[in-house]
Amino acid sequence: MTRLAVALLVLVARIASADPEADADAAFKRAGQLAVSGDPATVNTAIAAYEQLGSARPITRWTDDAWAEAARLAEFSRDYARARRALEQVLEIGTDDRLVARARAALARIEEEGGPAFDAVRAEHERLASEIYGTDDDPTAALTALGALVEQNPTYPRANAARLALALGWEAEGDRGEAMRWFRAAAEAGRRERGQHARLEYVRALTRAADLAEAETELAALDPTLVDSAGARQAAEKLETAYQRRRLRIGLGIALLVIGIGALALARRDLGSWRALGAKLIRPPIEVWFLLPLALLLSLVALPGNPLIARAVRWIGVAGVVIAWLSGTTLEAARAKAPVSARRALTHGLVVVGCVAAAVYLVVAYVGLLDLLEETWRGGPAMD
Amino acid sequence: MRPATLLLCLALAPACVKGNPIELDGDLLTEGGTLRIDGCGYDLTTRYGAEAPRPGTAVFGPDPTPRHVHLGIMGDPKTSVVAQWRTKDDKTLASEIRYAKGASLPAADLVEEKAGIVFAYRSTGAEEIRVHQAHLCGLEPGTSYSYQVGGTDLDGAKSYSPVYTFRTAPDTVAHPDSEVVFGFVGDSRGGYDVWQLLIDELSDRQPDLILFSGDAVTIGLTQYEWEEFFDRAEPLFARVPLVSAHGNHEVNAVNYFSQIALPGDQENFGVDYGFAHITVGNDTPDDISKLAGEFKDKIAADMAKSNSARWKLFMHHQPMFSASTRHGPSQTLQDAWLPLVDQYKIDLVLNGHDHDYEISRPMINKQVQATNDNATVFVVAGGAGAELYDNGSDYWTLYSEKTYNAAVIRVRRDQMTMEAFRHDGTQIPQGFSKSKP
Ligand SMILES: [Fe+2]
Repeated sequence: MTRLAVALLVLVARIASADPEADADAAFKRAGQLAVSGDPATVNTAIAAYEQLGSARPITRWTDDAWAEAARLAEFSRDYARARRALEQVLEIGTDDRLVARARAALARIEEEGGPAFDAVRAEHERLASEIYGTDDDPTAALTALGALVEQNPTYPRANAARLALALGWEAEGDRGEAMRWFRAAAEAGRRERGQHARLEYVRALTRAADLAEAETELAALDPTLVDSAGARQAAEKLETAYQRRRLRIGLGIALLVIGIGALALARRDLGSWRALGAKLIRPPIEVWFLLPLALLLSLVALPGNPLIARAVRWIGVAGVVIAWLSGTTLEAARAKAPVSARRALTHGLVVVGCVAAAVYLVVAYVGLLDLLEETWRGGPAMD
Repeated sequence: MRPATLLLCLALAPACVKGNPIELDGDLLTEGGTLRIDGCGYDLTTRYGAEAPRPGTAVFGPDPTPRHVHLGIMGDPKTSVVAQWRTKDDKTLASEIRYAKGASLPAADLVEEKAGIVFAYRSTGAEEIRVHQAHLCGLEPGTSYSYQVGGTDLDGAKSYSPVYTFRTAPDTVAHPDSEVVFGFVGDSRGGYDVWQLLIDELSDRQPDLILFSGDAVTIGLTQYEWEEFFDRAEPLFARVPLVSAHGNHEVNAVNYFSQIALPGDQENFGVDYGFAHITVGNDTPDDISKLAGEFKDKIAADMAKSNSARWKLFMHHQPMFSASTRHGPSQTLQDAWLPLVDQYKIDLVLNGHDHDYEISRPMINKQVQATNDNATVFVVAGGAGAELYDNGSDYWTLYSEKTYNAAVIRVRRDQMTMEAFRHDGTQIPQGFSKSKP
């Protein structure tokens, strides 16, 4: 009888003093299941659950982990004050040196970003940055709001990051003036390394916008000790390539224009009058009837693929038809006057081939495929 | 070998065309070689184009100052690490590591010493590049060590790096509350100013391991971009081991395999770290038919071996699922490797190659699932500096944006989260989180 009573007492005692480590482990797990939901209200509940576990005593191996998780979620939810409080708890408990080091770094990062005085500015910056970079909707409202935020808070330590977001955002929106204004502001006002990075971005943007002279000036203003030399070298190479391509484009454009006018003049001479040439040009030559369906078909086939390539195929088709039209008309005009010599036909053919090559180059450059072609050549093709 | 690679090799690098050994300062660079690493239980094998590895000797070149100090993993990260470096002269043969248990110790307290090994490789258009490695094994799990690398010449002159601190992977049996943090980043090629900013952002988040998804440089055979890559990353890489997947721009170059110490054959392997197992694959083999053959088998073997791991990650360079308008999804890789991802219920697949950020919905066999359970999420984060590509959206896309980016993946016993951020430090709003019962 006494033995049974003792056994019962032991059992009751064991149930009453459940293992605090095991309890904390289970509580941590439960909070974790709430934390992954993604829904802000549930995440908020998870933070509260972690805070409760962190405050519970005795301290278990999960106490500091609970505060670390609370801090992580709070920072992600842009509640920096709450994150700061949780991180301070990790430091205070201080049992896991890895967690402590991480908490110290996170605190330093939050402080570097301005401390409590800038919590609201930072939260708004984060929100607007995600709208600018992330959304497919019209970001102009977010861009305007972020611009105002930066101008109202010039001492905000991350203003430079915001300026860069503004520059890239306005560039994507096609507002060159605003884009360049913010690039310039970021280059001038950033902490030195970040400012130089912004200037390098500015050089790249100017090159993209074909403002090559300005790009050259900005490249020269780059502080070589503060910026990635490979990046600067590549920016310089890109600029030089842009100059070369521009010269080539202008040269080919002029050549095509001269050849086109020359062909028309030649046809007029053969037909005797501009009026006759006009009448001839209105009726497409046989080459056009041959090429037009082919060009249409190819454009259709290219449609579902890479949009740049589809655009290139379309424009190459247009150029081909124009060249064929002019070529056919001039050849017919010549034939109408006298039989065409083999030499004349050969020259004609070579000029047409040259024009087609020039037109293809101009189209590829115009749709922005040159870099892709060059990269494919240098880096090998993607696998599919 | 693919035609493009072959062309590149023919044009640029005799080193990658098998055949004649290369003459190097009178030494013969043979077809690599193998050295047993004392106390570690594994071999170090160098590639064709590099010398066979050998123990360092007490010889200084004109400037023996160590540089590009970075850590790698070849054994169990709980108990081992590889420190790797070069010297400014690339001639020095003296090679050793001094270390001791404890974080941020003064140099005088680094009482343990281990001899290093050296081997040189030839990079296109450059002098010989000489790599030093020191392999530490038998370390304690979850423990900080201070170390410096360098050497001593015959006259007793010393030349050492600054003291750095690393930490071994935790023992999750003894510490079920262990959290490990992986920095995840890729495609730095040609954009090292952005790379630098991301390295700073990653350092602020104190990762335990860096997962790099490939395309560190524009052409793996040329050295000058490697210099930028390692120069800028040294403050982080000297403290945190690097695990890398081979990217198409690395073109299977001897530079890649010589400078980054990795387990197994350095192409298809696995690493256990904390509660995670990371399988790594090379999706740009020298012979494309290996993808669905030899490489698939190796990846399958690693996934089978680690099937009981709590969390499973799979990192390779080119995405199976990407909505970017540049490369987009890879049917070839879906055919070759997706069945393994489904069979072994990989939690997270990590890719780069498309220079944007994209995270997929949970998927099984190309079908979007309502929940994460047993399904796989695919992440593209190829935004470490290479010129950005346009992002896009397809049926699998949960979120995408066109920004420079990196991410941290936090792994605990019952939950794994990923938070991505931009190079300006702002948070990308859509990450990943999953818990397991
Ligand atoms: Fe790539």
